[in-house]
Amino acid sequence: MAASALASAETGNPGAGDFGHALAQRERRFAAALLAPAFLALLATTTFPLIFLVWTSTYRMNLAMPFMNGFVGFENYRMLLIDERFWSSLLISLVYTGTTVALQVAIGLALALLVMDMKRGQGWFRLIAILPVVLSPAVVGMIWRTFMLAPDFGIVDFLAINAGLGSQNWLGDPTLAMVSVIAIHTWQWTPFAFMVLLASLASLPEDIYEAARLDRATAWQRFRRITLPLLRPAIVMVVIMRTMVALTAFAAIFTVTGGGPGTATEILNLYAYRKSFIELSIGYGAALAVALLIVTIVISGVLFALRRAK
Amino acid sequence: MTGRGHVKFRDIVKMHGEFAALKGVSFDIEPGEFFALLGPSGSGKSTTLRILAGLDAPTAGHVFIDGKDVTSTDARDRDIAMVFQSYALYPHMTVAENIAFPLEMARLPKAAIGSAVKEAAQKVKIEHLLGRKPGQLSGGQQQRCALARAIVRKARLFLLDEPLSNLDAKLRLETRAELKKLQRSLGVTAVYVTHDQEEAMTLADRMAVFMAGEIQQVGTPAEVFAQPNSIDIAGFIGNPPMNLVPARYTNGDILVAGHRLKTAARLPDERDVIAGLRPSALRIAPDGLKAQVDLVEDLGDMAVLDLNCGGTIMRMRVGDHDVPREGDTIYVTARPQDIHLFDPTTRKRL
Repeated sequence: MAASALASAETGNPGAGDFGHALAQRERRFAAALLAPAFLALLATTTFPLIFLVWTSTYRMNLAMPFMNGFVGFENYRMLLIDERFWSSLLISLVYTGTTVALQVAIGLALALLVMDMKRGQGWFRLIAILPVVLSPAVVGMIWRTFMLAPDFGIVDFLAINAGLGSQNWLGDPTLAMVSVIAIHTWQWTPFAFMVLLASLASLPEDIYEAARLDRATAWQRFRRITLPLLRPAIVMVVIMRTMVALTAFAAIFTVTGGGPGTATEILNLYAYRKSFIELSIGYGAALAVALLIVTIVISGVLFALRRAK
Repeated sequence: MTGRGHVKFRDIVKMHGEFAALKGVSFDIEPGEFFALLGPSGSGKSTTLRILAGLDAPTAGHVFIDGKDVTSTDARDRDIAMVFQSYALYPHMTVAENIAFPLEMARLPKAAIGSAVKEAAQKVKIEHLLGRKPGQLSGGQQQRCALARAIVRKARLFLLDEPLSNLDAKLRLETRAELKKLQRSLGVTAVYVTHDQEEAMTLADRMAVFMAGEIQQVGTPAEVFAQPNSIDIAGFIGNPPMNLVPARYTNGDILVAGHRLKTAARLPDERDVIAGLRPSALRIAPDGLKAQVDLVEDLGDMAVLDLNCGGTIMRMRVGDHDVPREGDTIYVTARPQDIHLFDPTTRKRL
């Protein structure tokens, strides 16, 4: 292709404009050729599985009962709408996402504000704070299950006993299990919010705070009226990124509670997994996954719209 | 005159580690005065302003405002308004919100804020920009917005930290004149930091000249210009600055480059001195000091000459008529009262 473009440029066109046009076309083709492998790889690894998922969700595909398999149209989705376990797992997903994101932003912002005023050791603090982020969520889950939350021997339980609260069944009690998985996710990902907000805070000019002091704003007013509005873009960005990740969280909960006790910590993602690979109902599992995809897209869309709003 | 805004600095010292930014500064500012802190960069004038504002604490010494010791009072509680060199506008607020901010912090009712914002904006002629954000304003407009925010609250002290330095030359001259009128009409005490001696000379009722963390002289611009009390000030004030040439004092005369000039100063003994001669004080006279014109800088309505007087370089200002040409030999002299004498070792005025 490139060769033919070159030939037409050399032979046919005397005008400089035509030559430039041919050159631009040649460049574009070359660029397309360079991009093609990556584009194909992306198609094969993301777009195709996604389409396959949607397609699967319109079939009854049960590995335990292969003789019942076949195209069912929207049957899986109709079942889903009346499936109480779907609604409860969706609710758990939303609670899990809402609380973990809110906690990450609140704690991350508080930490960033504290660290901003540190005269020394900021570098060390940042280095240590970032450690949880680099761990695999599955490893984090294992650490918390065995090292932190184990009855009597876990650090958290030990502290609870010493604080006079007594030994708690952190992963066995439905409410405590939910609190625990929220705490684990928050523990792992708050450093991310912290780092982003700290960088954003550090970029705010010093002199407007001095101006605000002379304008007689209290520390709280300076935070409310100046810091918060100026951090808003960073906060919104953190909320969007963390929401998308929290909605699709899996590994930490899977290793800590596996969705239990019962379905107390069964987020939508886990329910889809259990349906597909424990109960082997692949078609219905695919419908659940598509539902999760739609929820994620809708929530992200709303957040992006909010971001553009002001 | 409001009668507010009396400032007293007493022996203020500011250390940055081992480095003394201020080495014991004392001065007084009278209510309603336009007071300039003038000095080259790094001389401590901005540090002084920040200590007065309460943004930095002095290492030693006391600051009094209206008779009250405010040394340990926070900036919030000093009732001071300030225009920053960078303007320090709140970037996320409109011009109107910026100007309203200090009033909101003072918990004024909404209606009062609205009219006060309008009034302040009118005073600095930005009422048509109230809905814009600082990022949409030119440098001059931002500067006016910062001014409006400072005057809206009617604070007892009005501090300006090199407010004109980020404006282009033409705008700077216009704003300078307006600033003076504004301060007069408000009757507020203003403290103005600048490294530009022309700004200080034209704006200030009185000024303090800073050199290396100390105040070298306090006085009206005319006083400081007429009687600089050290070699450093003599070399700093005036454009072009004073010629400072080594000379020998003998019995009412000084010997400069082998030529005798009469001086009004009377010293007890014969001694070495530094003679200060303003470029504008030099005049052409047939019995004067022989000088060769090395260079002519024509400024239109006047010219500045570089003179070589037997190895001693001096600058001279002449009117636009009879400007000598480069290479000419002329004879220059000065009136006895225009010759300033300084001690070469202490650098003080004799």
